[in-house]
Amino acid sequence: MASSDALKAATFQRLHPRIYLERFLEERVRPDGRSIDDDVDDGERWRNVEVNVGSISTAHGSALVRLGNTTVVCGVKGEICEPELDNPDQVPNVDLPALCSPKFKPGPPTEEAQILSERLNQVLIGNSLIPLSSLCISSGKSVWVLYVDATVINYDGNVFDAALIAMVCALRNVSLPHAEYDLELDRTICTRPGSDPSKPAKKLVIQQDVFPMAYSFGVFAGSRLLPDPTAFEEPLLDTTISIVLDPLAKVLTLSQLGAGLDNGNHVLEGDARLDPARAKDTLTECINLAKKRHAVLIQKVYGT
Amino acid sequence: MFSAQGLLRNQDRRRINGPEESFPPVFADDPQPFTARKGRATLDIRPLFLQPGLISQANGSSYIETERTKIACSVYGPRQSKNTTYSEKGRLNVEVKFTPFSCERRKAPLRDAEDRSIAVAIHQALSSSVRLELFPKSTIDIFLVIIEADGMEGCIASGSIAASTALADAGIDMFGLVMSCSAAIVGSEIWIDPTQEESDAANGSLVLACMPALGSVTSLWQSGRITPSQVLSCIEACESRCTDIHSVVAQALLDNAHIKNTPNT
Repeated sequence: MASSDALKAATFQRLHPRIYLERFLEERVRPDGRSIDDDVDDGERWRNVEVNVGSISTAHGSALVRLGNTTVVCGVKGEICEPELDNPDQVPNVDLPALCSPKFKPGPPTEEAQILSERLNQVLIGNSLIPLSSLCISSGKSVWVLYVDATVINYDGNVFDAALIAMVCALRNVSLPHAEYDLELDRTICTRPGSDPSKPAKKLVIQQDVFPMAYSFGVFAGSRLLPDPTAFEEPLLDTTISIVLDPLAKVLTLSQLGAGLDNGNHVLEGDARLDPARAKDTLTECINLAKKRHAVLIQKVYGT
Repeated sequence: MFSAQGLLRNQDRRRINGPEESFPPVFADDPQPFTARKGRATLDIRPLFLQPGLISQANGSSYIETERTKIACSVYGPRQSKNTTYSEKGRLNVEVKFTPFSCERRKAPLRDAEDRSIAVAIHQALSSSVRLELFPKSTIDIFLVIIEADGMEGCIASGSIAASTALADAGIDMFGLVMSCSAAIVGSEIWIDPTQEESDAANGSLVLACMPALGSVTSLWQSGRITPSQVLSCIEACESRCTDIHSVVAQALLDNAHIKNTPNT
């Protein structure tokens, strides 16, 4: 009996996803059990984050991040090239393989993957996370270029937040072999890590004050603010809002695609609309929620 | 200005592009020459970790790890075949993808056909185990992502095990679970489940896939120089390892089914 009820619910969810979500929200709860009440703990509003760093030995730096069910693995490979003005020094790309969701087919990057890569590129490059000097081997002759590749293993929504954590954690984990430029041979020679104690592998220098963290929100039916949306909720959202904060909780990047909550007034509870004292601006509310979460998460993810 | 070099650029507008040319690090010293197997006996496989059902979006999935080799696999289907004519039997579709950071040298997307040859080998290992006659007009998609590779033979073997486990997790009818094991001939010895550097030093190698529950072999790949008697002893050794792996996989599937069927309240 219980299993046939579960089957009925699953069928209803597939046929009428919008009504399915509405019914949950009327009960002040989201389909995955998170609360939408104003006064709950952060842990009940956001999904749990787990980070595992340095488990891939073929990469110079790596990280595996789980955000609820969403799983992203990121590996950094260092290669050597000639420095040129228009040569990029970090190449971040996101791959959404057919493995991670029934939405995707095998083949070239989907539109979504291209947009994600570009947004992450802007956050990483735009905030100059890695100072160029730390990638220099010999001035004007030879530099490192970092290929930062993130692959999504399980696509359960909010991949942007998860991929950004994975990329930054993988970059923090990077350790490059000692490299020297040989003028006579006109090439760069590296030393295998551990083979010569006087030439150890070096950790990448990263700007501690710009470790970015992203927090995404969705607006459902113009009235509900859903932090950290899942893959089921994402297609039903009218608006996506992403806020990227630095370790001091200052805003680095902000994007809002779509309209805010009704009349610019924030309505977490149905009757708040009637109470002007509780009406707030959508973005302000999102930034406040993000900052609250940030205080907890920054220690857990980037804690020293 | 549009130079000849500009034409050579790997201009893929759908990705963020790197510099025109960059090279993996060149080391002053060669890696230590390889002599004897370290850490395990010649007939031992690497410790195996298998977890079915990790990818929540898929109908069935599994993750396998044998020391450095790490592979995720998901199964979608049986679902409607697209753009194909009517067929009485279902179609089994296997796609393998390497992550760019999975090997010693960075694998730029679409540079080589290594992933396709592994996909063919895994397809071969599985196709006779799945009851495709039960799924007319349908396709079963098996997708594998190789997160880290340590030996191509090991990737085929682990990939086949992961795919068979994911098919079972998806509840797709099979005659039996497919297990797979590789072997290499180094000098005059048989080394089971070789790593990348071990298979580089080998004269020849062999990958066996079988259904231990039925005692039948589904696929056998041999390459390089191996004498017929060595082939036979390799097959024997691989088969006995497959039986061992089979009990591990069956237990993992059983544990996962228990978790699934226990209400989480």
